[in-house]
Amino acid sequence: MSMLSVRGLTRRFGGLTAVDNVSFDVYEGTIHAIIGPNGAGKSTAFNLLTGFDTPDAGEVRFEGTRVTGLRPHRVTRLGIARTFQNTQLFDSMSVLENVLVGTHWHTKTGFLRAALHLPGVRAEERDSRELARHHLRLVSLEHLADVPARDLPHGQRRLLEIARALATRPRLLLLDEPAAGLNSAETGQLAGTLYRIRDMGVTIVIVEHDMGLVMDVSDEVMVLNEGAKIAEGPPRLIQKDPAVIEAYLGGDGGA
Amino acid sequence: MGRRHPTRSRVMAHAGLVAGIVLLALPLVLGDLYLVRIFTLVGINLVMVTGLSLLFGYAGQISLGHAAFFGLGAYTSGFLTRLGWPWVAGLLAGVLVAAAGGLLLALPSLRLKGHYLAMATLGFGEIALFFFTEAESLTGGSDGLREIPAAAIGGFSFDTPTLKYALVWATAALVLLLAANVVRLRPGRALRAIHGSELGAQACGIDTVRIKTQVFVISAGLAGLAGVLYAHYIGFVSPSTFTLNLSLILVAMVALGGMGSLSGAVAGTVLLTLLPYADAIIPGLSRDTVAFLQDWESDIHGLVLILVMLFMPGGIAGLGRQLAVRLRRTSRTAEGGAS
Repeated sequence: MSMLSVRGLTRRFGGLTAVDNVSFDVYEGTIHAIIGPNGAGKSTAFNLLTGFDTPDAGEVRFEGTRVTGLRPHRVTRLGIARTFQNTQLFDSMSVLENVLVGTHWHTKTGFLRAALHLPGVRAEERDSRELARHHLRLVSLEHLADVPARDLPHGQRRLLEIARALATRPRLLLLDEPAAGLNSAETGQLAGTLYRIRDMGVTIVIVEHDMGLVMDVSDEVMVLNEGAKIAEGPPRLIQKDPAVIEAYLGGDGGA
Repeated sequence: MGRRHPTRSRVMAHAGLVAGIVLLALPLVLGDLYLVRIFTLVGINLVMVTGLSLLFGYAGQISLGHAAFFGLGAYTSGFLTRLGWPWVAGLLAGVLVAAAGGLLLALPSLRLKGHYLAMATLGFGEIALFFFTEAESLTGGSDGLREIPAAAIGGFSFDTPTLKYALVWATAALVLLLAANVVRLRPGRALRAIHGSELGAQACGIDTVRIKTQVFVISAGLAGLAGVLYAHYIGFVSPSTFTLNLSLILVAMVALGGMGSLSGAVAGTVLLTLLPYADAIIPGLSRDTVAFLQDWESDIHGLVLILVMLFMPGGIAGLGRQLAVRLRRTSRTAEGGAS
């Protein structure tokens, strides 16, 4: 059975159908890419999968549980984490604190317990910090733990967002253009990081423009064009698919 | 290098604590009653501004209606103790009524952002002021409530200026201590996360509506607590205290101190509360200068707010951090030169 099952997903904005009757499955332990030209509906699809937007039709199920209609924090608590195309970091907080926020929902110190510093608070804080440092190590940012997030260069901001997402203990991780703005060396490292995350038992769905990265890391590729699915399959077959070549070359070339 | 950071900040915290205690003891040692009275007001404002700092400084949710919660606390406790309720019961009721007012306002308005939240809270403040003025049987109307008894616990009455001062500052210190615990742990990080990026916070599994509601209620409750302290300190409450002007001053105190900094909020509160009483702190200040500061108090607050926004968005705390970074740099180059 698939881990994530999407059926007939549709989202309209006025006269525009951003996501048009899209169905697909993501299987546990794989890296699944969603590609397509600009405006193909990839980010909208991500928002529909994570509760940041609500579909007009269709439904999303994660490990059998209906995700559609849940608010974003509920989706995260089910085990689906995400990053954003425009990174949504907490700029005034340190790199470590950003990742600590990722541990929020599976820790329990509330206002009262924190204010009174009740027993258990210190231990939980120590465990959270240990976990956060572990995730920072995973993306090679541990040496920057005390730096304010706003001082990080672009590539490291993307890595920090991944570390923060991992701290929410996801089983499925959705990455929205993680390689955007990275140089080729950084993109190479990112591929290694993605494998490590997958080997930790986290299934990955990635929206990406960098074809080299996509063809390199993914087990399965889905192609969207103008909101609709036009192809899916392993990367080698997708590269040769006439509809995909038409969408990429024909669409852009004709404009 | 990362390890030196916490010890350094701990040293700073201890230094701040000692400085605070010395400063607090000063009016008592000097036996200057004017000073004692002014510093009591500082303590009352601190309780209120600590709450606003959590809401506005940390979570980034503005309130232009905090005077209303201050008033709810003051009137509730004043009204009930005049009926013969014990002070502690009046205190609890005052805090609860203010917190309930906060909840009432938070539920519909925390879905609003920025200017809309500002307008909603401002409207609430005006409605509350109207209520304080018009509900004469409860509030005494524009004449206010007189002869509110001094705070008392059991048989012990806090009826001298020094005792009132001690009560207010014990409360303020306790509130600050609890808030300092909150901001450096999980809930404080959640507040700052909401301020930084609400989308990012939601993606971390934070129920942002719930946390914003919680902090609004806590903030309103603390303003209510300050209101209770105020009512039993002055012994008289009337609507003219709980105006938009007060709400704006509180916002200015947080902004001057620096967003997301409790110690900054303390500094902002002390400075702006003392402003109209500058003569008590700076000896030999001419009568005209003091009169000027008092007449133009609101204008000065407004000016401070504008200047802070324009030229030092980090407030006093931001200046402190810049200074610390610069000091560290010069000390490092000095070490480098010596070796």
